[in-house]
Amino acid sequence: MPDSGYPWPIETTRLDNGLRVVVSEDRTAPAVAVNLWYDVGSRHEPEGQTGFAHLFEHLMFEGSVNVAKTEHMRFIQGSGGSLNATTNPDRTNYFETVPAEHLELALWLEADRMGGLVPALTQQTLDNQRDVVKNERRQRYENVPYGDAWLRLLPLLYPPGHPYHHATIGSMADLNAAGLPTFQAFHETYYAPNNAVLTVVGDTTAAEVFALADKYFGGVPPRADIPAAPDGRTVPATGRPAVETVTADVPAPRVYVAHRTHRFGTPGYDVTTVLATVLGSGRGSRLYQRLADGERIAQPDLVGAYGVDLAHGPAPLIATVTARPGVTAERLRDGLAEVVDELTTVPVTAAELDRAKALLSTLWWRQMSTVDGRADTLGRYATQFGDPAKAGERLPAWLAVTAEQIAEQAAELLGAADRVTLIYQPEEKP
Amino acid sequence: MTLITTRPGPGAARPYRFPQVVRRAVAGGQVVAAHLPGQNLAVALLLLDGGAGREPVGKEGLGAVLAKALEEGTGQRDATAYALAIEALGTELVTGLDWDSFQVSVQVPVDRLNAAVELLAEAVRTPKLDPADVLRVRDDEATALRMDWANPGPRADAVLRAELFGVDNRWGRPMYGDPESVAALDVDDVTVFHSEWFIRPGTLIVAGDLDRIDLDALGAAAFAGTAGGAVEPGGPIEVPLPGRRRVILVDRPGSVQSTLRIGHPSPHRAHPDHVPMTLAGTVLGGAFTSRLNHLIREVHGYTYGIRGDFASSRRFGRFAISSGVQTAVTAPALVEAVGEVSRTQLTGVTEDELAVARSWRAGQLSVELQTPRAIASALTTLVVHDLPDDYHARLREALLAADVDQVSAAAAAHLHPESLTVVVEGDSAIIRDELVAANLGEVVDHTP
Repeated sequence: MPDSGYPWPIETTRLDNGLRVVVSEDRTAPAVAVNLWYDVGSRHEPEGQTGFAHLFEHLMFEGSVNVAKTEHMRFIQGSGGSLNATTNPDRTNYFETVPAEHLELALWLEADRMGGLVPALTQQTLDNQRDVVKNERRQRYENVPYGDAWLRLLPLLYPPGHPYHHATIGSMADLNAAGLPTFQAFHETYYAPNNAVLTVVGDTTAAEVFALADKYFGGVPPRADIPAAPDGRTVPATGRPAVETVTADVPAPRVYVAHRTHRFGTPGYDVTTVLATVLGSGRGSRLYQRLADGERIAQPDLVGAYGVDLAHGPAPLIATVTARPGVTAERLRDGLAEVVDELTTVPVTAAELDRAKALLSTLWWRQMSTVDGRADTLGRYATQFGDPAKAGERLPAWLAVTAEQIAEQAAELLGAADRVTLIYQPEEKP
Repeated sequence: MTLITTRPGPGAARPYRFPQVVRRAVAGGQVVAAHLPGQNLAVALLLLDGGAGREPVGKEGLGAVLAKALEEGTGQRDATAYALAIEALGTELVTGLDWDSFQVSVQVPVDRLNAAVELLAEAVRTPKLDPADVLRVRDDEATALRMDWANPGPRADAVLRAELFGVDNRWGRPMYGDPESVAALDVDDVTVFHSEWFIRPGTLIVAGDLDRIDLDALGAAAFAGTAGGAVEPGGPIEVPLPGRRRVILVDRPGSVQSTLRIGHPSPHRAHPDHVPMTLAGTVLGGAFTSRLNHLIREVHGYTYGIRGDFASSRRFGRFAISSGVQTAVTAPALVEAVGEVSRTQLTGVTEDELAVARSWRAGQLSVELQTPRAIASALTTLVVHDLPDDYHARLREALLAADVDQVSAAAAAHLHPESLTVVVEGDSAIIRDELVAANLGEVVDHTP
């Protein structure tokens, strides 16, 4: 196994307008991944404008000055490519993987919507995509049991005014209240070349990509005064646990425990990543062994713990279990709390640590096994840490985490006094 | 602002190549492998003829319960020791089944593949299947299905399947069973199914850097202690088309969306129209740019997404559309969707649409077949459907060569708008009257 988590070449440049360009050549397959990270996410949204960053992601597929509505999708799919985009609290990413001969098409499309979206944005498009987003909210959050857990956890974890206080899907009232000019201003403010990283990975060369990037993106003017999101790096400990109990149409009691940890990319968060794997990933994890197998109070398929990789504030660690039939929410809550508390008192063994690191190694190489996975990773490290090559440091950093560090972090951050607990109780059926 | 106004054309096309395929008979079984030079990860997948199609009627979910019971300890170690051993290699045992096959796989850094395959074989060939464990796993699986069935979708899927294929047939019941069928299984069902289907050698699929992999050693580990040969899979099943369109309403009080499942039977996988039918399905509903998604999402804003496609297994197939639409627009969304099926059946596809569909399907073979897992999955297609090593290259040629007449003819022959079964899972009290008024067909309330 290589010493670095990124044993491929990386070349970078910066265009005169500030666009950073990252290229990683790999001739293995005749495909290229094109990926743009814009440094704008729901953390930038002021009160009253929640959901804007995500709605904007939708609008970016609806045409720009030289690309008619629906053509973006049609051109990429018509070239044999795959594409999508996602928005989270930190950032918005857009990506397509195409057969290598269509690289230039992908760059042209991305440049056109970076530099030419606003003149093409119509009221009709805005209204249509607002409806689509409302349907997305219904489908993903409202019409499924436990679907709103994330929406409930965030305000329990982060106080009002913190950039992570509200969820990315946002408020439908906020989306309804805003007019076309507000959305046009959002694009003009954040969708600038100096607020983005373009990454290309696959069957091409750095020289080719740099020249094409300059040809297509070089004419897009930079923006001087991009407003920063509120600083969310520190969240004062409240000193008292937050507990919310929801009675809803759910099939079984479920408990979530969440803690604020460290920012993604810091040594502290590397400890969190390994700790979460020890705690809740796989049948050998503590939660599975203690609650699904040992006491048999949790459903085996629904045990888990994970960190949410956010880089601009203390990222959440979330653990969740769902009750077996006949087990009360209280028993489940106590069982979960006990296993989390034991991270401080019962040292992680060498076998537990090795297991977690082996699983994380596979996870890492799986992300690296596709050109699109690599492109997104490089874009992330260039955007959030200023250097795509830092991607190679993550896996070695995970592998260097010690049992002592896990116990220290558990004692420091995972105490009951600073815990968020969300409990779902099934409704009494008449 | 200077943006380039004209769309660039493609550069020189790269030749398409599927990885080199190696087939080898080892220790009474077959090894089928793909060479991925330089790849750090490797996948090994044991393919067994023990899919849902092999489950007796009334025993739906047997394979899923057995899959979980495999990890509850082996002849050599208990469940905890097994979990720690396999996860220490960086993998979990991934099990899956479809109508035609049962699959167990591991994904590990290539230097750990031997050890991982040995553990895989240990669980598959020599599970302990202690009766108390089997019963507990069965109860857990029934609970897991109850959880899943609390979501919108599984009930609608089951109702559509029963209507299409007949509830008296195994293939007219849910692939993974339902909470009741699983709860009714007993220990003997599981042990008999294991001895019937999990001791036969099957096929070991390997995707990885073959310069660093010893296929003979892997085969020897995978096939040790096996017995018995292949069993005739059975021919295609004749499934009659319904004589009229019907709407079946599955009540889900309080639902903020209506879950739609619309479909009819279609040909099995080996049908000669497979390629043009796939393309017709792509134009109608298989991609974001397809007619259905354009109309229902992009024009009307009724949904977050809608898809429709032909899917087929060795013995049967079906055409189906699925979506979730806002409750208030359930009836108009259905009218539009059914109308689009009719239009496509009657008037076929256009050259512009087909150009996108064929390039997309062909290009996906380059774009999507990157990971060891994706390549392993492509190899299982070769084995299950008895296809040659150059199948993917030939498929690509066939996709690119399909013309408007062929694809329109396939749409005309294999879409049956008047025989559609329309299943709606939603708030009956709100939508029932509108569904009746929409006049798509007789509206029937589903009674569980």
